[in-house]
Amino acid sequence: MDLVSLADNLLAGVLLGGILALAALGLSIALGVMRLVNLAHGEILVGGAYLGFYLLSLTGLDPLLGLPLIGLAMALLVYPLHRLLLAPLGAQGPEAPMMTMFGVSIILQNAMLLFFSADTRSIDRPYAASPLPIGPLSVPLIYVLGFAISVLVIIAVHLLITRTRFGREMRASAADPRAAAANGVDVRRIHALSFALGAGCAAMGGTLIGVAFSFSPSSGASYLLSGFAIVVLGGLGNIFATLVAGVALGLLQSLGGAVLGDGYRELVGLVLFLLVLAVRPQGLIAGRGA
Amino acid sequence: MLSKPMQRENRGHKTAHAAARMALLTLALGALVHAAEPEILIGASIPLSGSLASFGSYEQWGYNTAVNDLNKAGGLLIGGQPHRVRLIVLDDKSDPSVTQSNTETLISREKVVAMLGSCTPALVNAGALVAERHKIPMVTPCDPLMAFKSVRPWKYVWDIFFEESDLGSAPFRMIADLNIQTNRRAVILHDNGPDGQVVGGQIWPEVAAKSQIQIVQNSAFPVDNSQFTSVIGAGKSNGAELVLVDAITPAAIAIRKQLAAAGYQPKLLVIEKGAEPQQFAQALASLADGVLVGGYWDPSFPYPGAADLARRFESETHQSSSQHIADTLTAAQVLLDAIAAAGSTDPEPINAALARTSKTYVTGPVKFDAQHASALPIVLMQWQRGRAVVVWPKNRANGTLLFPLP
Repeated sequence: MDLVSLADNLLAGVLLGGILALAALGLSIALGVMRLVNLAHGEILVGGAYLGFYLLSLTGLDPLLGLPLIGLAMALLVYPLHRLLLAPLGAQGPEAPMMTMFGVSIILQNAMLLFFSADTRSIDRPYAASPLPIGPLSVPLIYVLGFAISVLVIIAVHLLITRTRFGREMRASAADPRAAAANGVDVRRIHALSFALGAGCAAMGGTLIGVAFSFSPSSGASYLLSGFAIVVLGGLGNIFATLVAGVALGLLQSLGGAVLGDGYRELVGLVLFLLVLAVRPQGLIAGRGA
Repeated sequence: MLSKPMQRENRGHKTAHAAARMALLTLALGALVHAAEPEILIGASIPLSGSLASFGSYEQWGYNTAVNDLNKAGGLLIGGQPHRVRLIVLDDKSDPSVTQSNTETLISREKVVAMLGSCTPALVNAGALVAERHKIPMVTPCDPLMAFKSVRPWKYVWDIFFEESDLGSAPFRMIADLNIQTNRRAVILHDNGPDGQVVGGQIWPEVAAKSQIQIVQNSAFPVDNSQFTSVIGAGKSNGAELVLVDAITPAAIAIRKQLAAAGYQPKLLVIEKGAEPQQFAQALASLADGVLVGGYWDPSFPYPGAADLARRFESETHQSSSQHIADTLTAAQVLLDAIAAAGSTDPEPINAALARTSKTYVTGPVKFDAQHASALPIVLMQWQRGRAVVVWPKNRANGTLLFPLP
């Protein structure tokens, strides 16, 4: 592989990493705020891809322009899920909600099979298959658009968490739910809103993935795995760490793909995931701030 | 005394009650007749969900159609008595281990007398080994013959599909036949499934060498891979004008999109396996135009019922037809014919009748060789405006090759 191809490849990896970071953000929020291992995250993400697909086919609205609507729709869809299923399990420890979400993931996957069929789909837009020349380099236009959108959404979520009352209450609930409740924070409501926020982010990430790649009801699992790798790499408690971790994972996967072949991309991600878990379980970038 | 409208209403109620009683009686009698009529159970474990679900939906239709047609015609005569055939279909979720457990369940618990196969070597062979162990006859489509024969010498399993060497050499034979001009440099991307390894890892490099086509890159990847930027970059930088892909549909869609997004425009693009289902063309719209895929059946072929079959599928399902409806229908009809010829539901006579099969079905003549395989000849199809058109060989073509890739 020549140097230009290698540089193309690495740049594409960085940009794709941004998209993966947005896809993983919801997982990070659920884990950080509620200590919830959301095993239905992949299905929520795929659900976002279907929302984008049907938004385009039924209304003609471009899914990238409709991203706020898709995020909002998914947030509204999952909000009752938290109130009805997860909130009552609040005092049961982390296992019960995790297993509940495992059940929800199976139900969602089967519901999508029932309503959308098992067909592989892709959101067909002209920019999804167009190259963008940058000097001697060339990257897929959708990666550039996806990266820009992901950064914007991540900045917006960061501002929401650091500059608003909801954000303060969310951080307080994450740090110490009992103390937050004692100070008048409605922790249940904050958890439900955080869950909805995470699902909205996942749905937007899913739409971007649906435009760039392909999806079917069963494709959520692989994105759940890459999401976990990003969350572990970035650690909890810092929204920007998720972005940095996504970019790092995308870059390392691309490097792995260039050196070992495209078939080893996932392997690089998983090895990294296990290494970080073993050596620095709090994450490489983790730490301060939102 | 009731008023006239009330009398009318009362009469209406009485009529409705009488009709309901008649309907119940008919249903009960029907159930009794069905219960009295003996059944022959046939099992099938097919991918109705997961990455191979695109094939499973066609298989389900093909198998069901063969069984329903037979039942409408009176069923099977066993010992002079008509038997209805009941097909039990289980979803293997595109997972070979589920195919195995489903096959075990169908044979051991449901007591099926014979099996119909799944799709792709990984799934078919997994189920076939279970059927073979139980000495239950199985007829399968959708399992390329070299991958099928390489597993073991089969005694109870029979395969009707194409030979990988025929499929793998088809693009090269087409290039020679149609005198297609390229720079004779090729990139191969293939998944590491059994058929991907055979076609992409062995046959294409061998035939390319014989055809004096240089392979500048040959990359294998996991079946569910979705990112191909490295190998696409390598192919682009090497200026290969021929791209050969063997991948399942999700990967095939991703590869086609990523080729375009990388600004890589080969002159000829062949995507085996994944480009075959209609959903490939639906997902990619105009980007599917010009993609070539090996095929073995088209409604234009001169076999009994070929033209009607596609029309029937499309009118019943409101979907575009696929060649998989034909080989699955054929596999089921071959099995049902063998049970009829055996006049028995015992495995040995059915198996012996399968060995004697020699008849022309909707996919063409079926006659098994010593290794239990019956080959379907290969043609090359090309997606053109959402339809798969046969473009090679000339004597089977119903369209003209779109070249170079638009």
